[in-house]
Amino acid sequence: MRSLRRFLTRLGNLAANRQHEERLKEEIEEHLALQTSENLRAGLPPAEARRQAMLKFGAMEAIKEDVRAEGRVLFFDTAMRDIRYALRMLRKNPGFTMVGVLTLALGIGADTAIFSVVETVLFRPLPFTGSDQIVRVESTKDGAPINPNGSGRLGGPSAMDMRDFAQSNHSFENMAVYDIWRKNVSFGGQETEPDQMWVGLVPGAYFQILDVKPVIGRLFTPDESVLCKCYIAAISAQLWNTRYGGDPAILGRKININDEPYTIVAVMPDVIPEWMESRAVQIWTPFAFADAEGDMWTEASRGGGGFSSLARVKPDVSIEQAQADLATIAARLAAAHPIDRGIGVALEKLSETRAHDLRPMLFLLMGAVSLILLIACVNLANLLLARNSAREQELAMRAALGAGRGRLVAQLLVETLLLSLIGGGVGLVLARIGVTSLARMHPDNLPQLASIGVDWRVLIFTVVVSLITSLFFGLGPALTAARLDAVNTLKLGSRSGTAGSRARRMRNVLVVVEMAMSLMLLVGASLLVQSILRLERQQLGIRQDHLLTGHFYLPGVRYPDRGAITRFSDRFADKVRALPGVLEASVTTIYPPNYNWTQMLDIPGHPATRMQDVPSAKFGLTDAHFLRTLGIPLIRGRDFAASDSATSPPVALITQALERKYFSAEDPIGQRIHIGPPQFLHIPPGANITDSADVTIIGVIGDFRNNGLASPPEPQIIVLYSQHPLVNYGFKDIVIRTAWSPRLLLPEITSQLHAMDGEMPFAQVRTIDEIVEQQTGSQRFTTLLLGLFAAAGLVLAAVGIYGVVSFLVAQRRRELAVRVAVGASAGNVLWLVLKEGLQMAALGASMGLIGVWATQKLINGLLFGISPLDPLTFAGSALFLVAVVMAACWAPAWRAARVDPCMALRAE
Amino acid sequence: MKQKMDVLQGTLALMILKTLDVLGSLHGYGIARRIEQISGDLLAVNQGTLYPVLLKLEQEGAIASEWGASENNRRARFYRLTPAGRKQLRAETRDWEQTAAIIARFFEVKAEDLS
Repeated sequence: MRSLRRFLTRLGNLAANRQHEERLKEEIEEHLALQTSENLRAGLPPAEARRQAMLKFGAMEAIKEDVRAEGRVLFFDTAMRDIRYALRMLRKNPGFTMVGVLTLALGIGADTAIFSVVETVLFRPLPFTGSDQIVRVESTKDGAPINPNGSGRLGGPSAMDMRDFAQSNHSFENMAVYDIWRKNVSFGGQETEPDQMWVGLVPGAYFQILDVKPVIGRLFTPDESVLCKCYIAAISAQLWNTRYGGDPAILGRKININDEPYTIVAVMPDVIPEWMESRAVQIWTPFAFADAEGDMWTEASRGGGGFSSLARVKPDVSIEQAQADLATIAARLAAAHPIDRGIGVALEKLSETRAHDLRPMLFLLMGAVSLILLIACVNLANLLLARNSAREQELAMRAALGAGRGRLVAQLLVETLLLSLIGGGVGLVLARIGVTSLARMHPDNLPQLASIGVDWRVLIFTVVVSLITSLFFGLGPALTAARLDAVNTLKLGSRSGTAGSRARRMRNVLVVVEMAMSLMLLVGASLLVQSILRLERQQLGIRQDHLLTGHFYLPGVRYPDRGAITRFSDRFADKVRALPGVLEASVTTIYPPNYNWTQMLDIPGHPATRMQDVPSAKFGLTDAHFLRTLGIPLIRGRDFAASDSATSPPVALITQALERKYFSAEDPIGQRIHIGPPQFLHIPPGANITDSADVTIIGVIGDFRNNGLASPPEPQIIVLYSQHPLVNYGFKDIVIRTAWSPRLLLPEITSQLHAMDGEMPFAQVRTIDEIVEQQTGSQRFTTLLLGLFAAAGLVLAAVGIYGVVSFLVAQRRRELAVRVAVGASAGNVLWLVLKEGLQMAALGASMGLIGVWATQKLINGLLFGISPLDPLTFAGSALFLVAVVMAACWAPAWRAARVDPCMALRAE
Repeated sequence: MKQKMDVLQGTLALMILKTLDVLGSLHGYGIARRIEQISGDLLAVNQGTLYPVLLKLEQEGAIASEWGASENNRRARFYRLTPAGRKQLRAETRDWEQTAAIIARFFEVKAEDLS
């Protein structure tokens, strides 16, 4: 209560300041007058009487200051003065201010940008209600996850297994099996060309699980979802707006998918993020359409896994309980159906599928930006230390004039604070730029970054962190400075020397730490660069250059029989081959580096009675031009020939990997193998997972990458699609070897296709080079960022060492001058200074290498073909660091070497 | 020097209040003299240190001040105790006596008394 009253009075005093000053002056004057007359009465001479009175009164200014402090609101007054003063100091030392602000801004900006990414990808809640209960159901084989295409996405159970899961479980509110297909879509009306788009084949439950309700319209009913081929579709709100102008009468309109009209029954809100399906899905039709062969719901298809799945666990059931529940059912299924032997289930939270393969990269980047923030803080601390020791004189003078220790510290801290705030402001700008450019340059395979924005919590966090660090580091020097013995410091005069030795040692330690951290960044960045180079130089097993690929789809409506598909494909390839600039072309379902159709085989001499013993290989359907087009070497036997036709006996080519694995003893050429599951699995012929045909091996070909860039080639078998009508689907790719730059030929090729079928889009056109580049996209992204961080860290460290050595040289001017005076050569002095830097660099480098060793786990998963402790990289990075340090030391060392002894000594 | 004053501040305020209680309205110099007289040489306080305390007490409402004529017949600021100040003085005197008594008892205690 009393203090409140005092505060209010003080507020009032703000206005009456002047009056107070006057009153105080008059009061003190009268006080002194009274004491003086007292002293006069005691018999002192007038001058002495006045002097004694003043002595008795005490330090006039300090007391006035105390009274003022008592009379005013400290926050408004002292603080304002300190801020004004600090601003002036910052303005008068533009170099210091710039370096300080930029250092901090860099740290805060980089940190905020990266942590915003991390927040978006790892921590931001999914846009679905109760998203913690939403899971994916993945299949495992012999306890290990099934990874169908090397993409990190796991494979889901077959539709039949999912149906049994859904019927027998006690833990799930809802389960859905679905798939995403690429289809030719046209929106009606003549103005729009047909386009290939991703279409979700989903049951209504898909949306129910996500708790996404239509903007208008209705969800697919259970009956529509799985059994009846009802031609109905849901479209995204985005599509509704862009293609139909948000037409409120959209329901009931038609959309053409694979040349069949579908009635639009719903508009779905744009809440399903792209990362969820690894592609943007804007159209959904019932899941029943995934059943191309009409046997999805028969036992024949139980082995056909690879669907996507989604399920919502009941609110009172834990994920573990749900998992155990499903495991019991899976065991039962495995006992009942041979094809399910060894197949288990694993649940993965939907939220955890978001980060997936990004996790290691994010952790690495997080580590890197933390280092940057640390380096920035260390640099700032260093700057402050240097500045405060240069200001010892000034501070001592202030103390002598009656500045209390608290006031001195407060003054220094206000300066630090101000610097931090400005740094934070600039950092915010940097973070915004950083985040925007991250969002813009995010590679196609990182759709998670699409929705990234500056995270305010992160910004505040980093500003607070840097504030605390700078206060922490600012306080130390401030306290040291304030503790100074004023008399001694002043007496030492300009002869700087002993007082700062502790501060100097501290600075050296900081610089060494800084160098260690930037070396860690440097090693990390160069390891990643080398990995990417190695990855991209991976031999694909083909001649990689001048290869263009594109996809086309022959819808079943217009190409109902498999002969038509073969004829169309062959004719298209012929026409393309006839184009000038085209050397060779092949219609195929496969091309390196990825392919994900794995096929069970029955090979003589490899009887299998258990699921895990069944031979299998990657399976591809091509025409006879495949080897020639891709440049895959024929090792033995013969290539496909024009004479291998639909009516001649089926033939096959196998890779050396397959030969090694299954034909170690005998020559495979001439052997007949069965494409399809072995007898014991009792799978009726005609099931869509299997071809069920006998082929004769006619040749062995070189291995090529068919399981991603980073994995060795898997066994591969290639057959002619013309000889296997059962699996000769409408999905076809064409690979074209060109003599010219591949893209130049694109218009010609497209017009050839449209000449044959005007409704058929030529989609997914890429060169093999581009595909390879895309596959290393996320690594490139990481590397680019890490490279930037390493550069930033190095610059900061260089600034740090430059500052320290410059300061050192300034302090040792006298000593150096004496040395020169007694005959030291310029070279000697130069070396003396450089040696100082070199010692610190060596120490920093060794600490950095230890740091790399300690954190190698962080980067290990991202490397390819290089050890995280690669000695050459270590040595190179360390040498580079030393070189940078030497460069930074050169200027001050040169200054030192040119010290004029007369000038230097006289200046003292 | 400053630290020493910090210790004294509360005590000094109490001395001022008591002085004004006994002597009525008084200017700064008068208060300083009185404190000197009573404490003798034991208390080496710069007279100036009085003024921040006076201002503090005034702002808390314990004392009030007005201009009056000094012995030199010039303008001087005269301080007097307010009713609130009197109450504060009573409370602080009681506190002080209690504290003093407690401390005194601690000084009286000998090692044997504690065993």
